[in-house]
Amino acid sequence: MIRRLVIVASVTAALGGLFLFGLLRGSPDRDIESARLNRPVPAFELPLYERYHASFGPTLDVGSYLGEVPMIVNFWASWCGPCYEEAPDLQAAWEDFGGQVLFVGVQTQDRGRQQEGRDFIDQFNLGFANVIDDDSSLSIEYGLFGVPETFFIRADGTLAYKHAGPVTYELLEEQVLALTGGTP
Amino acid sequence: MSSLGTLGNTTLLLALAFSLWGLIGGAVGAIRRDRRLITSARMAASATFLAMTATVAVMEIALLTDDFSVSYVAETSRTTSPIWVKIVTLWAALEGSLLLWGWLLSGYWAVLSWVAPNTPLKPWALTVMAGVQTFFVGVPAIAARPFNSVFPVPLEGPGPNPLLQNHWMMAVHPFLMYLGFVGLTVPFAYAIAALITNRPGTEWMLNTRRWTLIGWGFLTAAIITGGWWSYEVLGWGGYWAWDPVENVSFLPWLTATAFIHSIQVQERRRMLKAWNLLLIILTFTLTLLGTFLTRSGVVSSVHSFGDGPVGPIFLGFFIVAFGLSMGLLAWRWDHVRDRSDLDHPVSREGSFLAGNVLFLAMTFAVLLGTIFPLFVEAATGDKVTVGAPFFDQATLPLWMGILFLMGIGPLLPWRRAPDQTLRGNLLWMALGAVVFGVASFAFGMRAIYPLLTMTLVGWNLASLVLLVTGVVVPRLKIGQRGVAQVLRQYAFENKRRFGSMVVHFGVLVMAVGIMGSSAYRVDEQIRIDIGSSAPFQGYILHARDKFMEQTPGRISAGAVVDLERDGQIVTTLRPRTNVFAGQEMTVPTPSVMYRPNYDIYLNVASTVGPEQDFVVLRAVMSPLITWIWIGGLIAALGTAYALVPGVQGARATRDLKRGLEASQT
Amino acid sequence: MKRAVFGWLAIVLLAVPAAAWAQGDSGGVVELESRVFELGRQLRCPTCTSESVGDSSSAISIEMRNEIRDQIALGKSDDEILAFFQERYGDWVLLEPPREGIHLFVWILPVVGVVAGAAGLALLMTRWLAKARAPLDDVNDEDLARVQAAMKSGPDA
Repeated sequence: MIRRLVIVASVTAALGGLFLFGLLRGSPDRDIESARLNRPVPAFELPLYERYHASFGPTLDVGSYLGEVPMIVNFWASWCGPCYEEAPDLQAAWEDFGGQVLFVGVQTQDRGRQQEGRDFIDQFNLGFANVIDDDSSLSIEYGLFGVPETFFIRADGTLAYKHAGPVTYELLEEQVLALTGGTP
Repeated sequence: MSSLGTLGNTTLLLALAFSLWGLIGGAVGAIRRDRRLITSARMAASATFLAMTATVAVMEIALLTDDFSVSYVAETSRTTSPIWVKIVTLWAALEGSLLLWGWLLSGYWAVLSWVAPNTPLKPWALTVMAGVQTFFVGVPAIAARPFNSVFPVPLEGPGPNPLLQNHWMMAVHPFLMYLGFVGLTVPFAYAIAALITNRPGTEWMLNTRRWTLIGWGFLTAAIITGGWWSYEVLGWGGYWAWDPVENVSFLPWLTATAFIHSIQVQERRRMLKAWNLLLIILTFTLTLLGTFLTRSGVVSSVHSFGDGPVGPIFLGFFIVAFGLSMGLLAWRWDHVRDRSDLDHPVSREGSFLAGNVLFLAMTFAVLLGTIFPLFVEAATGDKVTVGAPFFDQATLPLWMGILFLMGIGPLLPWRRAPDQTLRGNLLWMALGAVVFGVASFAFGMRAIYPLLTMTLVGWNLASLVLLVTGVVVPRLKIGQRGVAQVLRQYAFENKRRFGSMVVHFGVLVMAVGIMGSSAYRVDEQIRIDIGSSAPFQGYILHARDKFMEQTPGRISAGAVVDLERDGQIVTTLRPRTNVFAGQEMTVPTPSVMYRPNYDIYLNVASTVGPEQDFVVLRAVMSPLITWIWIGGLIAALGTAYALVPGVQGARATRDLKRGLEASQT
Repeated sequence: MKRAVFGWLAIVLLAVPAAAWAQGDSGGVVELESRVFELGRQLRCPTCTSESVGDSSSAISIEMRNEIRDQIALGKSDDEILAFFQERYGDWVLLEPPREGIHLFVWILPVVGVVAGAAGLALLMTRWLAKARAPLDDVNDEDLARVQAAMKSGPDA
């Protein structure tokens, strides 16, 4: 009988432990690792918003930077609340580190809403290049689980880190340093 | 301070006190065999029921009068909702649905306390009911607290989850689900009582046979109405997606189905004592596990409506209930072990045993698939997915096995089948199977599972015909009565047997519906300019117009689509998107043309705006899908018929009473 | 009553040609669209909670179905299309777990379950069969003592 009770107790404890783990780790759909981590990220060429035409031309061809300089690619949408939260931090980080790292904003999962996209950019006066991913194909290419998501790409073109959810200036600064290997 | 809130809190605490008394008084009374204590604890059931009825009534009044000083009302209700929505808002969110659960449970407990036969099991069974009741009153009274007062009192609330208020089925499905879960608590309570009192014979089962069937019937109805609700609300033209929430409602159904079959083996052959106790414990604890998984956000689900603070509490209760009841079973193992014998594997009991293995294997596969992502994440930290393709592949072969046994089992006699009858029956059934299989093939079906399903449907129909002729033909020979009269009398005298035939027939009808709608559905995404048309599956869809409607609680925008076939307008569908006041989410609301041979299902795949001159529709043609709901209705009616008190039931009760009287003298 | 039974029978029989009809009448568009949704149903919608790309009405699911449609037009096979998404989203996106690595457990364990259940049942059945065939006269002292004890304490289940 003792043996049977021990079996029951251990099965119960194993189930309890598994579910307790589930409770403690929080929501199941958070922080899924990018499948491209430490692998080369794909290049892309997408149309730019008008205000960036002067510096880059009508489209941005990331292929000519990828593998040459570190990059930060930030995906946003005009309907996405947290994107409005993080935009000022992105702009501030670009002002400070735009010389060392290429910042690219991508409006995605936002089909046909270019006017809203323009308003978004104007609201925060975003200086870094913002492109339009109208059919969300880049969103699929990068394996997005939602917006906002920010990809930190090393100078050799491989993915160093992906952040899901809004970024902060501190996080951007830390990641820029990691990408450039510099010290503050 | 809100007066309704205070009142509700008071009645809820009263209910908690009564159920605690039922638990403590009942346990002490049962241990000391103190009749006065036992009677007083028995009265606690009715008192709890009255207090819970008052609690639910207070909540309904608060909802109907828009008393936003009550926290649950402030969080889930809205002044502009229609009255029926306000009524069902009681179970639209966690705290309220716990009240509903507690109320229904107290109802079962109270009825049980009055009608249960006076056996040595009764005091303990009522005590176990009281224990479960204490939990389901304690959680809303102490942890979830729907009657908290809100200050300052808001003028308006957000309204219930839009997916819920979008369809009247929401008034039905959860109610049935809780009636099912709660109904299966009764046989569980008796099983625990049997283990505590060390009387693990057939007594506990006979005492709860009807309760088991009631619980099973409601659970079945709940799952089918849930499927229909998904069909009408989720917008993809399906009814079952193997979502974790769907799976966990299915798990106790599987074990309960195994249970209602295997108790017959114990009833007739005194076998499977331990197995039946295990099955009912599993059934009950799986309902708790399901509630925990869906209410804690541990697994991701399209149906998880709000995570409350109750996740850890439910986990705790699941662990305690599972550990205690399994521990009890282990403790009594030497007394419940089977000392039975088997005459022949090809017998009724043999087929029921094999069916049990299949049902339990399916339970295992579905449970494993549901918690596997959690398991992998705990082991490696990786996030993985187990979805519909896995569950289809894991369960379909088992379903085929179950359908096979469902045909043969009822035809086999207990103990051993005489070879000659068996061979004759098998021949007829094989003929039915071949006819259906060949006919399906001739009509162009090629995929393996649909062909197998149709073959097994033929096998089963032949079996049902054999069952009916088997009882009708001999009776025709002895009397002057006609077929209808004989059959009516048979159905009247053998309610359980006849009811089970009806249920099995309902299952066949459902199998055909599931086969057709899953293997032969056609999905298409169509863009139509307003005023023009597009072809779909022999129909011409005319997007006649778009519309926008506004009621105080809701804005709908959609398209008016005429379905034309052979130059005639067959029907007009109005697929739309609804936005409910107070909610941001837009809810696609499909529009369906129901037909016996196939449904045409239209859903707007993009929102319809004021300046937009086109509509993108998702058009689905689902063959035979209506037969799922009809089959479900047949099964429900069969279950209800089996529950009608009849000659057989009365005889069994009389025998039981006699036996008990003999044992008490 | 019997007539009613045959009525039902007729209806179920009618169901067969109806189901077959659904398959018979299909043009190229329908085949393409059905394949799009069939593939979509094997992929998990990345922004939803627990819905497939085939079932979901979310913006990204619609775009992913468009991507599937484009790739079919390019002549890609089903496996290639699924691999395309797997490369971008990882194993997570596959609703049918790949039959490799840790996923093997979820595929093998149900089979183990069925086999173990069947083996257990077979074992029990042979034991019970043997018991049913065993002669009744080999009552040993232990059994006798238990019967006597039971008779003293009165009937009990």
